[in-house]
Amino acid sequence: MIGPSRVAELDMPAAGIETGTARPAQSYWNESWERLRANRIGIAAGILILIFAVIAVMAPLFSLILTHYQPQTINLDQTFMKPGSTHLLGSDELGRDTLTRLIWGARVSLGVAFLTVAMSLTLGTTVGMVAGYYGGWIDDVLMRLVDTVLAIPAIFLFILMSILFRPNAFTLAAIVASVGWGSVARLVRGEVLSVKQRDFILATRSIGARDTRLMLRHLLPNVLPVLIVAASLGVGQIILIEAALDFLGLGIQPPTPSWGNMLTNAQSYFFRSGFLVALPGIAIFVTVLASNMFGNAIRDAFDPRLKS
Amino acid sequence: MTQPLLEVQDLHTVFSTKEGTVKAVDGVSFELHSGETLGIVGESGCGKSVTAMSIMRLQRPGRIVGGKVMFKGQDLTRISEYEMREIRGREIAMIFQDPMTSLNPVYRVGWQVSEPTRLHNGWDARKALSSAVNMLGRVGIPSASARARDYPHQFSGGMRQRAMIAMGLTTTPQVLIADEPTTALDVTIQAQILDLLRDVNREFGTATILITHNLGVVAGMCQRLIVMYAGKVVEAGPTADVFANPKHPYTWSLLRSIPRLDAERHEPLKPIEGLPPNLVDLPSGCAFHPRCVFRVERCARDVPALIQVGGTQRAACWVTQAGTELKGV
Repeated sequence: MIGPSRVAELDMPAAGIETGTARPAQSYWNESWERLRANRIGIAAGILILIFAVIAVMAPLFSLILTHYQPQTINLDQTFMKPGSTHLLGSDELGRDTLTRLIWGARVSLGVAFLTVAMSLTLGTTVGMVAGYYGGWIDDVLMRLVDTVLAIPAIFLFILMSILFRPNAFTLAAIVASVGWGSVARLVRGEVLSVKQRDFILATRSIGARDTRLMLRHLLPNVLPVLIVAASLGVGQIILIEAALDFLGLGIQPPTPSWGNMLTNAQSYFFRSGFLVALPGIAIFVTVLASNMFGNAIRDAFDPRLKS
Repeated sequence: MTQPLLEVQDLHTVFSTKEGTVKAVDGVSFELHSGETLGIVGESGCGKSVTAMSIMRLQRPGRIVGGKVMFKGQDLTRISEYEMREIRGREIAMIFQDPMTSLNPVYRVGWQVSEPTRLHNGWDARKALSSAVNMLGRVGIPSASARARDYPHQFSGGMRQRAMIAMGLTTTPQVLIADEPTTALDVTIQAQILDLLRDVNREFGTATILITHNLGVVAGMCQRLIVMYAGKVVEAGPTADVFANPKHPYTWSLLRSIPRLDAERHEPLKPIEGLPPNLVDLPSGCAFHPRCVFRVERCARDVPALIQVGGTQRAACWVTQAGTELKGV
């Protein structure tokens, strides 16, 4: 035992701390969670997103037990019906059930949004981390690449890519992510540059850790909060982009229902049935609003300093 | 003398900057013997830390452009990065100036203290953690097994520095490099950490390089010291001899500038006039000559070598090499 007596006589702070061992370890994550829980609107928005996600995942089940229709079932006897007992939220020009199509549309919208976020986060984090960690010419090359990607007019790229590749949920996500990763890379690089300055990085290198360990085990957890914030704020934005692409006919192709192409379809029958326009619009609006509010709540919880 | 454990020979480390090449370490040589504590003293920016970093090959973005670091028969400046990683943390451990930032805030202390043994000894998490807890106890962390579950922000500065020392010791390294380990701590905590380092040195036989700008720390801790100025060693020798009879005017001025308790009231402090030199544009001759009160004409012209002056010391100074005693001015 090294100097136990010395500890006893000198280390008064340490002696006082002994009584405090029962106190739970308040980690950064715990504190953030506490702050998030205190934000009621944010939690409500989060729960709403969760409900939509559950509905999207279980769409086949819902169309089986709730609406009793399939999204592409045509029934020419029941066109343009108002919401009622046969069709809970009405039907369209081919007699397809609107609620069923909305539920299946949620699948597309949320699926594409989450897939896009996952893709742009993975690529952006990798590039940003490598650029920030290694610095020098690697940083220069990668960041100029990011500048280039961010300078491309995205909508034209989307149009071009949609023509070249047959859009389905997966390719659509890849197309949007091919631009989206740039801003993530910038964000991560900035954060890495700041975390890298701290002594624990040097200390970890001094115990013989290799670069990959430093990046994955030490830097990544420290940039995770900004990634979570970026992801949660990105979802709403991507739902809008996806809806816009669908609306222009560049996204998910009919007859597969998506909120965007339901809107496109509805514009021809605007005066026959306002519900056909309003319902997908409301779905998009509510989802985007909820994910933005949840994103803001996450940001405030993780980094109270960013709160404006 | 026996074979030194670590031998730095004519080490040169440079940094390329927009203003020019900075010779942060410019021909530094010294030896570290098993079990001893060696002090490296000097002002901020004189190359102490870069010397330490160069030994560990962590001097990035600086480059080692010359010299050798001999450790166990191999030159650390020449071995592969893989071999160097095996040395870092296993054979040579390092602790840093600022304990507030030297622990990763997102991991529990026990996890971090056990990281070196997981990396080097291939221990599983459980075994590594129990050895880390044991070591935390030995460096004076009370209720170590409970505190190991804490996050770094729940530790005080002194406790974090203890944790860093524990982390360094888990692999029982032969050399511990402490880079200003007490600079960021309160005075009372400083004393505890220094006591701890002395105990570590005695109980584990770990040879220690203690980098500091605090001469009082060196006096209490180190058998030998080297004094650095502008990237060069200007004086080296046993601590007692150097303190009693400095052979370089820089050492002499440093010792003279320490405030004394027995000084006359109102006696002014005696600072070293002038500022440390710009490393991009060093003065000609001896880098210290513009600030030196003993300088002679030759000092501005030729660079003095570090050679034996007096019985046990070496100094790089034309004045003392010519036999002149450094006496109050």
